[in-house]
Amino acid sequence: MKACMRDRLLILSVFVVASCGLAYELIAAALASYLLGDSVLQFSSIIGCYLFAMGVGSHLSQYVKDERVLDTFIEIELLVALLGGLSASALFAVFAWSGESFRLTLYALVFLTGAMVGMEIPLVMRLLHQRQQRFAELVSRVLTFDYLGALAVSLLFPIVLAPRLGLARSALLFGLSNVAVALWTCRVFRAELLRPTVQYLRSLLVLLVLGGGFIAADELTHWNEKAVYGDDVIHAETTPYQRLVLTRWKGDLRLYINGNLQFSSRDEHRYHEALVHPVLGALPWAQRVLILGGGDGLAAREVLKYPHVQQVTLVDLDPAMTGLFARSAPLVALNGGSLSNPRLRVVNDDAARWLEQHAEVFDAIIVDFPDPSSFALGKLYSVPLYRLLSRHLADNGLAVVQSTSPYHAPRSYWSINATLRAAGLATTPYHAYVPSFGEWGFIIAAHRPGYTPPQAYRVPLKFLDREATRQMFFFPPDMRPWQVEPNQLNDQRLVHYFEQDWSQVIR
Amino acid sequence: MQRRDFLRTAAALAGLPVLTGCQQLLGWGLPIEVLRPGMAAGHRLRHAAALPPPGSQRRVDTVIVGSGVAGLFAGWRLAREGCRDFVLLNGPEPDGNAAAGAFDGWRYPTGAHYLPLPSPESAHVRALLADMGVIEAGSDSLRPTFDERVLVHAPDERLWRDGQWQDGLLPRGLGATDDAQQQRFLLHVKQLQQQHGADGRRVFTVPTALASQDPAWRALDKQSFASWLAAHGYTAPGLLWYLDYCCRDDYGSTLAHTSAWAGLHYFAARGGHAANAEDGAVLTWPDGLNPLLRHMRGRIGSQRQLDGAAWRIRQQGKQVQVDYVDAGGAQRLLARRVIVATPLHVAWHLLPQLPALGFERAHLPPRAPWLVGNVLLDRFPAEPASQPLAWDNVVYGSRSLGYVVATHQLIRAALPERTVFTTYHAFADAAPAATRQWLAAASADALFAHATADLYAVYGPRLRRHMLAARLTVRAHAMASPQPGFLANPGLAALRAADGPILFAHADLSGLSLFEEAAWWGDIAAQRVLG
Repeated sequence: MKACMRDRLLILSVFVVASCGLAYELIAAALASYLLGDSVLQFSSIIGCYLFAMGVGSHLSQYVKDERVLDTFIEIELLVALLGGLSASALFAVFAWSGESFRLTLYALVFLTGAMVGMEIPLVMRLLHQRQQRFAELVSRVLTFDYLGALAVSLLFPIVLAPRLGLARSALLFGLSNVAVALWTCRVFRAELLRPTVQYLRSLLVLLVLGGGFIAADELTHWNEKAVYGDDVIHAETTPYQRLVLTRWKGDLRLYINGNLQFSSRDEHRYHEALVHPVLGALPWAQRVLILGGGDGLAAREVLKYPHVQQVTLVDLDPAMTGLFARSAPLVALNGGSLSNPRLRVVNDDAARWLEQHAEVFDAIIVDFPDPSSFALGKLYSVPLYRLLSRHLADNGLAVVQSTSPYHAPRSYWSINATLRAAGLATTPYHAYVPSFGEWGFIIAAHRPGYTPPQAYRVPLKFLDREATRQMFFFPPDMRPWQVEPNQLNDQRLVHYFEQDWSQVIR
Repeated sequence: MQRRDFLRTAAALAGLPVLTGCQQLLGWGLPIEVLRPGMAAGHRLRHAAALPPPGSQRRVDTVIVGSGVAGLFAGWRLAREGCRDFVLLNGPEPDGNAAAGAFDGWRYPTGAHYLPLPSPESAHVRALLADMGVIEAGSDSLRPTFDERVLVHAPDERLWRDGQWQDGLLPRGLGATDDAQQQRFLLHVKQLQQQHGADGRRVFTVPTALASQDPAWRALDKQSFASWLAAHGYTAPGLLWYLDYCCRDDYGSTLAHTSAWAGLHYFAARGGHAANAEDGAVLTWPDGLNPLLRHMRGRIGSQRQLDGAAWRIRQQGKQVQVDYVDAGGAQRLLARRVIVATPLHVAWHLLPQLPALGFERAHLPPRAPWLVGNVLLDRFPAEPASQPLAWDNVVYGSRSLGYVVATHQLIRAALPERTVFTTYHAFADAAPAATRQWLAAASADALFAHATADLYAVYGPRLRRHMLAARLTVRAHAMASPQPGFLANPGLAALRAADGPILFAHADLSGLSLFEEAAWWGDIAAQRVLG
């Protein structure tokens, strides 16, 4: 290859190097905006830090000895490739694993990358200068390509790369470009390098790391999401209604809906036994059971333990949820295949609408609605809904309502109790300790008072026995009833109570 | 609208044909349907020709002409009292201002959409609500228990100001003067709620017929609400905007064109309470007030409801002849008594004998034109978590009246998959006659721009992507506006007192377009028929 051709390629490398330099800066700033918010602050401070670091790098470049310029250039390229290429993945990981050191890591990484990139251009200029290029021409060319590279990336990044590849893969792609420059320099300037083979091998090693990272980027993201949820994510799905994430860690399956824990397989038996058996255990004649919500099939599993139950109707809005829990092997193992049981009928409909539009009567009704955290959900804990419910409840039947925590959210819990009473139902409140939720509350509702908890159960249970049941219906002094108002749709006090309750819980 | 106008001008300049009549292309492909209920039949009546001889003649004790709130309430009362020998002529605008529609099952109002908690004076409205089961207990008590499904659910109101929502409709954060004047005004009208006249009656009541006749208080009607406010030191812009909004919302008129008595009546007359809701709560259904009318129709019985538009009503001796047109041609009813339950500008054309009853053309109350828009959305637009979508959503400073969410009262585990937003616009700023001319000729697109101004102000053009269809209801003669002096209208007094073979029943008799007033005059007419 002729010398002038080599020089041209060297100039071209300036273009690549400049592109990568700007890309890392943009990626770091975008990532900080995503994770920390306040994008104006993030972009300003990261660009400032980066430019300052480039100045430091330029200053340091004078200490590189003339004979080592080419070797140093290659080493710097590889370092930039590693630091920049892995920056996004590393920052994601730091954010997921230890949120506190995120800012420190972010600025350290930005500064180091900036300093390395700051050394690149002076080194290339010195290389060209050594090759007797005219200074005026040299400066003009190098800077022209430097700025062109910046333009290319500033357009490519927001329009193509970030939306198509994501931040982690974009960074890895630019890292690979830096390695390419290093490899190409090794090849072309082999004769002029002090340790060509070592540089070659180093380049290949970095190429391998980044290439592997590029292929495994999804795994990395997955691994990071796992860190956010604490465990392995075995299923994640966004349905038209909600985001379902299922995690597993050493046999503990957990379901999160929109980031809120729904159950942990370690202790869900406590929640579902407490929800179902005080009602079903007291209704040895129950044949028809309605479950509202509970698309995971876990309450259904408990209900189906009773051979006298002939038909269970489960109304859950989301077909993706009931589908997942009917098909996925670990979940079917957990709910005992309840959703495929011939005695069970799944109805994918809005539970409140279904109650309005149907007239069937049930011996037992199990209500497992989401907590009243919004005005829309608060309507599910209202006199009209409970009256509707009572029209579906057989004369001597029992209903049970998941009612938030009487310990952490006492206003909400006792307001739900008052609302059931305002709807003309006789209520019996009780509670159980579920380790992943804390002390949790339920309320049994009937047309007439006189409910007595079961003395014994004829089905196999892990949590409830005579004594445990007796304790559920006892409210110790720190969980005594609160005098609160029923929830009226006109002002939805319950939603305010719920907000007030949880804002006082230190978590 | 500006962009549309610009496109049109540009197209005209470029020598392209301008699309004006093709409604499919307008609104960027959104199917827009424009309804003008009663317009064609009403205008035919104005240039009434003689009818051919009637094809049938039928004798009946009582005929009710018109099926708005007043006519149906009269029929409901007659049926309730065991009267069987009456018919009700639906007319060209069934359900009047309480009409409703549906997009494929998603119901919405095309007129009035709420009813305040009825005060003890509105015993007639309470009786209807109790008959429907909306009042569950304590119909005669100070605080009846209402069906919560019908009491407006929280959050009920919010106001859009400076790109943010705030709770309630009174603008907050406009400075100490505004806050102080708002507080003073609220206190002032609270006192007026308890104010009694020299005759011992409350000064402001619904129905207005039961209000005090004390001339000292009735003198408020001689001035405009604007001048009364100025005289009492109410000058703060936020308060004045709110009061102007209220007058446009209830009366279709601005502060300057509303009687001070009527302006204060809006705030001081509504003293209803509920056992299970706060004061100031309202009753509402997905399709506005229409369920009340459906209930009354059910009680009246379909066999007594005739489709057809009245053409002439004449008293001949002791009986009244009602000529009307239906699908079969001209028909005639001969009745002992007729309740004319049409708006008075319609009655004017139906009844050549009106001047003989003491009612002249000059006595016709001025009428405000309205535009009601219904937009079907395939999803709910994004809302800030701290200020979720309310039932009634109003834009501060807008000349429109905001929008109401038809699905607000549904109880659902998840957001309904579709919804309808109902927008209201009262044309209070221009002369009604000029507005009516514009409305009659306006393109669907121009009407759409008017009807959706507030929606676009709040959500921006992105909302267009969620719109599946729009229906615009033009009510060019929507309601009587209570201008200064309306209480002293002698023509209205004559018709209120009429107790001969021809009776009158309409909110126009009060000069205020309220459900309670219409129902009151329907009730009075029915009781006169019953003797």
